[in-house]
Amino acid sequence: MNPYVLSILLMGLGLGTTVTFASSHWLLAWMGLEMNTLAILPLMAQHHHPRAVEAATKYFLIQSAAAATILFASSTNAWLSGQWDIQHITHPLPTVMITIALSLKLGLAPLHAWLPEVVQGLDLTTGLVLSTWQKLAPFALLLQISPEIPLLITSLGLISMLAGGWGGLNHTQLRKVLAYSSVAHLGWMMVVMQFSTSLTALALLMYVIMTTSAFLTFKLLKSTDMNSLAMSWAKTPSVTALAPMMLLSLGGLPPLSGFLPKWLIIQELTKQELGLVATVAALSALLSLFFYLRVCYCLTFTSSPNNLAGVAPWRLESKQISLPLATSTSLSILLLPISPAILSLTLPLF
Amino acid sequence: MSLPKMTRLLSRRPLVSIQQQQLPPSTLVPGRTLIQSEYRRPGKPRDNEPPWQKIKFDLSKGLEGVKKHFTLLKNELTGRWVGPEGKPIIEHMLEQNRVVWEFRGPESLQQWTLSSDREIGGQSEIYMELGRNSTTCLLYGTLCSTPPRDGETRYSGYCTARSKQPLASFDRKKHHDWSSFNCLHLRIRGDGRPWMVNIATETYFSHQKDDIYNYFMYTRGGPYWQDVKASGIIPFSKFFLTHRGRIQDDQHPLWLDKINTIGFTLGDNADGPFQLEIDFIGVCKDYAHTEEFAYEKYKRNPEV
Repeated sequence: MNPYVLSILLMGLGLGTTVTFASSHWLLAWMGLEMNTLAILPLMAQHHHPRAVEAATKYFLIQSAAAATILFASSTNAWLSGQWDIQHITHPLPTVMITIALSLKLGLAPLHAWLPEVVQGLDLTTGLVLSTWQKLAPFALLLQISPEIPLLITSLGLISMLAGGWGGLNHTQLRKVLAYSSVAHLGWMMVVMQFSTSLTALALLMYVIMTTSAFLTFKLLKSTDMNSLAMSWAKTPSVTALAPMMLLSLGGLPPLSGFLPKWLIIQELTKQELGLVATVAALSALLSLFFYLRVCYCLTFTSSPNNLAGVAPWRLESKQISLPLATSTSLSILLLPISPAILSLTLPLF
Repeated sequence: MSLPKMTRLLSRRPLVSIQQQQLPPSTLVPGRTLIQSEYRRPGKPRDNEPPWQKIKFDLSKGLEGVKKHFTLLKNELTGRWVGPEGKPIIEHMLEQNRVVWEFRGPESLQQWTLSSDREIGGQSEIYMELGRNSTTCLLYGTLCSTPPRDGETRYSGYCTARSKQPLASFDRKKHHDWSSFNCLHLRIRGDGRPWMVNIATETYFSHQKDDIYNYFMYTRGGPYWQDVKASGIIPFSKFFLTHRGRIQDDQHPLWLDKINTIGFTLGDNADGPFQLEIDFIGVCKDYAHTEEFAYEKYKRNPEV
């Protein structure tokens, strides 16, 4: 893509999220969300492949529907309460509508059906932006809304965890697996939102780090399905050694970083006397862990002299900058021992 | 000058007797409006039956349908526990060849649809039968490139066989997932004619409905089966995108995760009979084939 156009689009993406972060008026927040949507559309369709254009169209339709609902809900709130402040949305009707609209924007179950198809149609970089950056702005709004109906938030969270785990079980396309993993992680974030917004923010931060690592790993290995992962030991043995750690961290296994948000969320749920919710959440993490383990298996336990699943690739030197991958992989593996420091940094902020 | 007398439009009979008149059914609904919404294949008789008269209530068929669809649904749900497409992951990873269509009985012919330019008024014919010992499929017929005399068609003469879309439970569309493979393996025995293989993928927009990926298949004639590199094994990277027969400038590689149908077309402008015997159609993984896409895109508006 033309570098000027690319920089304008990336600046638009950054500006949109920043505007939403900085806004206290619903219309300004909506404007930020719209800027995000419109800026990412050319990035999605840049390769003009029919599937990329399909993904961009589906994304546009979904996000527009959600944005229209947000506009309607905020207008309803302005009509009922006379003000447009984000934090003072108290009437249950607009609160529920906005929660559902933001769930559609994020891809929370039961409004998650678009996410795997859209991510599958994109290249890995744009998929990374969609799975990480595009989640920040809607979450910023969700964190500011006081939950009028706790049952809604908890059910959205639980259903997302189960749908994300169950749905990702049988896919061999890595992008779809990461999309379902995204749905499951969003469920974890939602379920604790009404009790501790800082834990939601921590879970979001950890999710962004781990997903960045995952997408960049697959981009380096140039693999979009599980069979092509089998050749990764020949391409980059070091990444092949660390990638299972990163995937198990996504699955929430101790002593890796991904365990931190899950542990704290279960602790908080137990403190709030929601033992059943905590149990269901922990069990649904097993479903997600299964498909992460499957990806690990394809990555590492398929070396010679077995028949290789992947086709021998061209041994071209990768032009990918290694710093983001190195940083995100290190962070997604090694952060658990310094969890008190992380908590002291994030808890006061939110 | 007096005004002309207006003739009475309505009869003097009262309304009740008009309603009691029995009009013949053929004048109630003109035949043409009934079938304008549906395509009628030339050669099929015009169907003037209204839709509600075409429903056939049959309990045994209904029960069979219920059983079939619920069995498919049950298999889909239980297959999920086993692995992708109902097979364990190790099988999915180690799979190097898969036979997708093989012709071993009359039910295998039901998966195919035949078509020729007879639909637009031409004179080509195509038929499909099971070959000897019910182990192969024989496509045969006559190609005739005489254009139909409708005043607008200039070229004609094609015959095609296309597989039907695979369906899941309750007639939902299902797709073939060939992402583990990179070549199409055909075992065929032809008569020297050049055929074209058409692969249709799942599309989204209605204007992409006729987007098909094509490549050529040259048959060599002779009594020997053909499944060698030159024509029997076709890499998917060689397929190019066309729309309604026109090669597109904007070429894209074939994505193998959602394939709908495969088809064979003959349109080589050589009138006369043709025969193609197909043993099986499969997909395979050629480890030595590393090409991703065979065609470069040239700039359509280059700077001069």
